[in-house]
Amino acid sequence: MAKTLQERRAERQLMIVLLPSLLLLFAFVIYPAIYSVYLSFTNEALTGAAARAPRFVGTRNYARLFNDAKFWNALFVTFVFVLGSAIIGQFVLGLVSALALRRRLVFRTLFSSIILLPNAAPEVVAGFMWISMLAGGDHATLSRVVSFFGLPTADWLQVFPLTMIIVVNTWRGIATAMILLTAGLSTVPQEIYEAARMDGATPSQMFRRITVPLMMPTILLYMLISTVSTIAVFGLVYALTRGGPGGATELISIYIYNQSFTAYQLGYGAAVAVIALLVSLMLGIAYVRAAKVEI
Amino acid sequence: MKKTVFGGLCAILLGCTSTLVQAETLRLANHGQAGIDAMKSTVERIEKKLGVKVEVVEYPAPDKDYLSKLLTELGAGNGPDLFSMPSTAAVADMVEAGYLAPITAEINAWEGYKNFYDVAKKLAVSPDGETYVMPYMLGIQEIYYRKDVLDKAGISTEQPKTWDDLLVRAEEIKAKTGAYGLLFPAGISWGSGAFDEGFQHLIVGSKTPQIVTDDGKLDLTGEGVKDVFNVYKTLIDKDLMPVQPLLGPEPWVIPKYEQFPAGKLVATTCGSWCYIFDWGRESKNPIPDVTEVVGTWTVPGQSGGQFVLANLAAPWAVNADSANVELAKKALLEIGSVETQVSYAARIGNIPASKDAAADPEFQKLTELVPIHAAAENGTFLKQAAGFGTVAEGVARATDALLRKEVDAAGAQKILVDYVKETLGDEAVK
Repeated sequence: MAKTLQERRAERQLMIVLLPSLLLLFAFVIYPAIYSVYLSFTNEALTGAAARAPRFVGTRNYARLFNDAKFWNALFVTFVFVLGSAIIGQFVLGLVSALALRRRLVFRTLFSSIILLPNAAPEVVAGFMWISMLAGGDHATLSRVVSFFGLPTADWLQVFPLTMIIVVNTWRGIATAMILLTAGLSTVPQEIYEAARMDGATPSQMFRRITVPLMMPTILLYMLISTVSTIAVFGLVYALTRGGPGGATELISIYIYNQSFTAYQLGYGAAVAVIALLVSLMLGIAYVRAAKVEI
Repeated sequence: MKKTVFGGLCAILLGCTSTLVQAETLRLANHGQAGIDAMKSTVERIEKKLGVKVEVVEYPAPDKDYLSKLLTELGAGNGPDLFSMPSTAAVADMVEAGYLAPITAEINAWEGYKNFYDVAKKLAVSPDGETYVMPYMLGIQEIYYRKDVLDKAGISTEQPKTWDDLLVRAEEIKAKTGAYGLLFPAGISWGSGAFDEGFQHLIVGSKTPQIVTDDGKLDLTGEGVKDVFNVYKTLIDKDLMPVQPLLGPEPWVIPKYEQFPAGKLVATTCGSWCYIFDWGRESKNPIPDVTEVVGTWTVPGQSGGQFVLANLAAPWAVNADSANVELAKKALLEIGSVETQVSYAARIGNIPASKDAAADPEFQKLTELVPIHAAAENGTFLKQAAGFGTVAEGVARATDALLRKEVDAAGAQKILVDYVKETLGDEAVK
């Protein structure tokens, strides 16, 4: 059926309203992504002959990447980091905080403020603050705490680097998890809990059979957001360890930076970035599909 | 209508005037407070003498971050008019990239250049025969050792004759004092320092003392390269050099600024700047009577000979894409003046490249540097080539693997060769 004049006008108006956003999206998201894919097939560099006259190298960057042990190490470190800090650390502590805040706590406002506090500090500032806590030597905070209990001190970022960055990123991300999961919890009707209670359900049963299943869309949305944003974490870890020691905390984001702006190989760095983008995309699709199934 | 035309003409005139004003402004990149302070009087002199406004743009202080930002801006075509480079190794690549304006004619015609040390002039000439940088300061590097610690432990302070001699001395230090015996900077975190302040010292005295062939290719498969990595391996395996701090984000802080002043590291490669910046009057943790307490050895060759390594320290260059190339070149010659050289020497501790500095009353006050300046003529250096920046990164990666005890010397050499081939292509490497 042909569209009426009014419908066509509404469509035109809609396009006019959307056009600025679409242009901005194209200029700052789509075009750079396409350009990165193009770069990944060249030997473009920031210095040397390739900076003056970059050339097309086909799939050479990708072939090199798949044989690069440091790339696989970065991918593995990123996987452990995302699993440890986003999927386990932030989620569990965020959920506990969200559940706790639903109760009538004495210092509820203070408690929620404390959890939100890490987000108030810029990530590099937060990174340096944690360095002072985790550094070696007798004056660092953690070393003083453990020595109070008679335990040996250590340079924590050297001895347990990956664990430490997981702890720091968990600390930083609890607030986001808590806010999202609180929103999810508020969508679960109280009547269901009351009915379950009358049927003699225990708190554990209610949590497993009511809270978690009904919150699943929110949980999956949180997982999607936190996984993708944790894959892209850079500043916090770069300030803490710069990817060291010996690549132990070299996340894929740091590896991309190191290839592009330390080794100055923009083409190779772009190839790694394209792979990181594909990984994020696949995870995103998986989460979205899972969420649909649950809904 | 008339008002509109008049308004338009005024706007055009204003635009032209502001463009002309802008054309008389030179943008100069500098990094690190000491470097900025050292240039203060030079900036005033340039403004007065050339009638221009100089805008000093402060860049990130760490060399690695500075170079990344500078290269990004130059690549994007909006770099500063004048800038310094953190290491000699970066120059040839930047020439290849077309970032630097040649200054051969201007510098050779300049009166002040005649009294520069030959070693500085040679280091400034690029593989294409042109000069692109003002080689006004030299980094003269040797091995610095704690004389007081050795004397107290009854260990000889005599100049080691060979690499073996040096390693035996380091073992003796470890055995008698418990302190680390010798440090050669290494690892990825140290950046180009792993090459500039470590690898270079040894390769010039090895069986294959140059890594560039006559046709400009990089030769990294030589026996000398493996032997150099073997020195690192020995130091690491025998726990003669600190390893853990070198794997951290600021690897120089603990060994150079804490362990050496405390006598827990007894010998390390360093440049003349250590007498001023690292442990001297500009240091946050100075060693009292530093020239009395800290002595120097030249770096021995593998089987004899003595080597004093000379590098260009922070050479300045003109942006080839600058809107004011000619003006920037004139400013560059001012940066090359003895006055600026002495100002840098006083604050950072590098050695003036001009012989005339010896007669400068301000330089004569820098008693730590005067004897090093006099000996600068004998400096040894590596022949430069495009790709040196990549070699420096490859050395950092190779030594990082050695620090983590993942490879032996041959494995480290393979990491270096593979990295350079992967990055520059097989054709760049012999």
